[in-house]
Amino acid sequence: MEALLRNRASFVCRGCTRQLRRQYSSAAPRQDIYDVVCVGGGPAGLSLLTALRANPVTSHLRAALVEAQDLSKIKSWSLPPNRYSNRCSSLTPASAQFLDQIGAWEHLARERIQGYQEMQVWDGVTGARIEFDWAGAAPATGSTIAYMTENLNLTSGLLKRLDELGGVSTFDKVRVEKISYGEETEDVDLREWPVVHISGGKRLAARLLVGADGANSPVRSFAGIEARGWDYDRHGIVATLELEGEGWGGAHTKIAYQRFLPTGPVAMLPMPGNYATLVWSTTPTNAALLKSLAPKELVSMINAAFRLPITDLEFMHTQQSGQEDEYLWRMQHTPVDHKAVPQLVTGVQEGTVASFPLKLRHADTYTAERVALVGDAAHTVHPLAGQGLNQGQGDVQSLAKTIEYAVTHGQDIGVGMSLESYNSERYAANHVLIGVCDKLHKLYSVSNGPIVPLRSLGLSAVNALGPLKSFIMNQAAGNGIKVF
Amino acid sequence: MMRSAIFRRLGSIVLFPFASLVIHPFPGNGKSPLQKGKKKRAITTTTSPTSIQTRSHTSSSVNETEISHFSSLAASWWDPHGPSRPLHLMNPLRHDFIRSLSLASPGSSGPPSTYLDVGCGGGIFAESAARLPSTVKCTAIDPSSTILQIARQHAKKDPSLGPKLEYLNTSIERLSHPKVDVVTCFEVVEHVDYPSEFLDRLGEFVRPGGWLVMSTIARTWTSWVTTNLVAEDILRIVPKGTHDWNKYINEDELRGYFEQRPEKWGEVKVMGVVFVPGCGWKEVRGSEKLGNYFFGVRRVA
Repeated sequence: MEALLRNRASFVCRGCTRQLRRQYSSAAPRQDIYDVVCVGGGPAGLSLLTALRANPVTSHLRAALVEAQDLSKIKSWSLPPNRYSNRCSSLTPASAQFLDQIGAWEHLARERIQGYQEMQVWDGVTGARIEFDWAGAAPATGSTIAYMTENLNLTSGLLKRLDELGGVSTFDKVRVEKISYGEETEDVDLREWPVVHISGGKRLAARLLVGADGANSPVRSFAGIEARGWDYDRHGIVATLELEGEGWGGAHTKIAYQRFLPTGPVAMLPMPGNYATLVWSTTPTNAALLKSLAPKELVSMINAAFRLPITDLEFMHTQQSGQEDEYLWRMQHTPVDHKAVPQLVTGVQEGTVASFPLKLRHADTYTAERVALVGDAAHTVHPLAGQGLNQGQGDVQSLAKTIEYAVTHGQDIGVGMSLESYNSERYAANHVLIGVCDKLHKLYSVSNGPIVPLRSLGLSAVNALGPLKSFIMNQAAGNGIKVF
Repeated sequence: MMRSAIFRRLGSIVLFPFASLVIHPFPGNGKSPLQKGKKKRAITTTTSPTSIQTRSHTSSSVNETEISHFSSLAASWWDPHGPSRPLHLMNPLRHDFIRSLSLASPGSSGPPSTYLDVGCGGGIFAESAARLPSTVKCTAIDPSSTILQIARQHAKKDPSLGPKLEYLNTSIERLSHPKVDVVTCFEVVEHVDYPSEFLDRLGEFVRPGGWLVMSTIARTWTSWVTTNLVAEDILRIVPKGTHDWNKYINEDELRGYFEQRPEKWGEVKVMGVVFVPGCGWKEVRGSEKLGNYFFGVRRVA
């Protein structure tokens, strides 16, 4: 640390850091001054630090990362080619481009990333269908709609890139014990500077404190920013699936499937080879049942979820076991266009079935004096559009740009005025997307009544209208964010 | 009462024909030694008899009433949502303008590393100039000790400024300082009684190849209608006598002054800016003839 301070031209002058050291060494525990202290080493926090370090304009900023987990384990993460982690995200081409720009993309295990070129979305009640493929609509950026990526592949790649760039003081395996404000001394007045107290007694004073610390963000609580929203009373079940083949389109045209059931959407997203990842939003009761099932019964439930009528599915959720026999019998009497649904699931990888509660949360603001929130600390969205991680990447890109502007114009990067453009740019964009995902969830939660034929008509109409479809696809691919 | 107080502190906000604003961030005191109502303002020197007479009362280029007026702004100077917000919003454009000058300099040796900010007020520009990674030293002077107290207090909030930023409670006439890359003087010349002498003095601190950079407001029919007639006489949102329109200086007058001294001054650059409510300041080509503008001139020797 001392060497770091001596060697690097820094925003925080060496003289004052030394002065502070002297003052604090005798009475209080040592306090280090940073330009950016990022709490949380997930995709958003790591991307932000990487973006700042990779840009020559902001690379002189003194940055610190605080994370509870052991980052060396995440950095050296690896799985055999026939195993996939159950926590995956759909990265839009815009997010992938940003990761490439900051030099992180090449550090990801690329053979584990799967792009997809088609989306099949349909209404489980009426069967109305919408097919998204770039063949029918004008592609905006290549032919890939999104890239399925294991979250650990992403964080591991970011950590490797950050390691290559160097210069970030990393404090992992530590707890944030408290965040307070600094003090005034004869030379400096840090009464508006957040000071992060971490286990082990270290204190990090932050010109800008970044909350990348997830949905229950301690940084957000410190800043007194409310996050409003509601719980959906739904759980998302995830699992890594093995299929009978690499998909109907082969290795080069991978397809993502999503069927809207009254309990929530079930999605199957392609991974390399014969693998796919499942995201099934359903009621907590159903989720508990699905998690308790033997693997062969769960496989049948997943195959049923993409094929059988709603009433059949409802019945199978009442069985404690025997879903496999039930599924095979019912399929004999159910006509299914096999090419219109995913290939059959043949197995679920052991230990990959997990669930988490679904919530909607949106912070009242993303910035306060010397505080900025990114990613889940700022917003939690329904996973049905696969936009959560991309929203975080959008935040990071915008915040890094805001910080760059502040540096080139001599602004203090922590003051509210310097952060205004980040908040105004991202709040509105995220608000629209959060609202759209929420409305879609609610729209498809209805299983009878006048709204059902109307929404099917809507889906069929969208399917028939090329320009509208291409607009929706561009939104999903993250190209259309500028319209907000 | 409340409204007029706010407007007095903000300076003249002037409705522009295109729903945009001309802002004179610092109102004058209403007194001028110069000929009121005269169409063309000559940049006078102290050789004029009346000027010499007035000058004997003060050793500074800015008079006492102005100083006490700006001291009253001190408390709110750094409130980003207070009356100084337009100044905070304008600050990044000052850097854009200076960057455009250093890029334009023939044989430019990178961005400026030394600054002298004259009439720094609470330090909005001075702090930001000192904070730039390329800056080695920024000296900022202001004749008001009350305002400098605010400036110094505020600078303590950023430990990176300490060794790079120095505030001096002095006038330009009393200043002794080595030559710098850039001398800045924002929203000040329109308050100066003897612009010619003042500009000469500013020029002494610019190193050959360096720039003198100013911002001010043009003396045009738009600025007269909006700052004097509408704001003071019709709407009465600004106390009568706040503005001294006669002290405003046009871009061609400044240009003419420097062109008459080719042995010292070279290239001139101008950027007109317009305040658009809700959007902030925007560069508008040609608007230097109408309202607020930046003016830069390169010292040749």
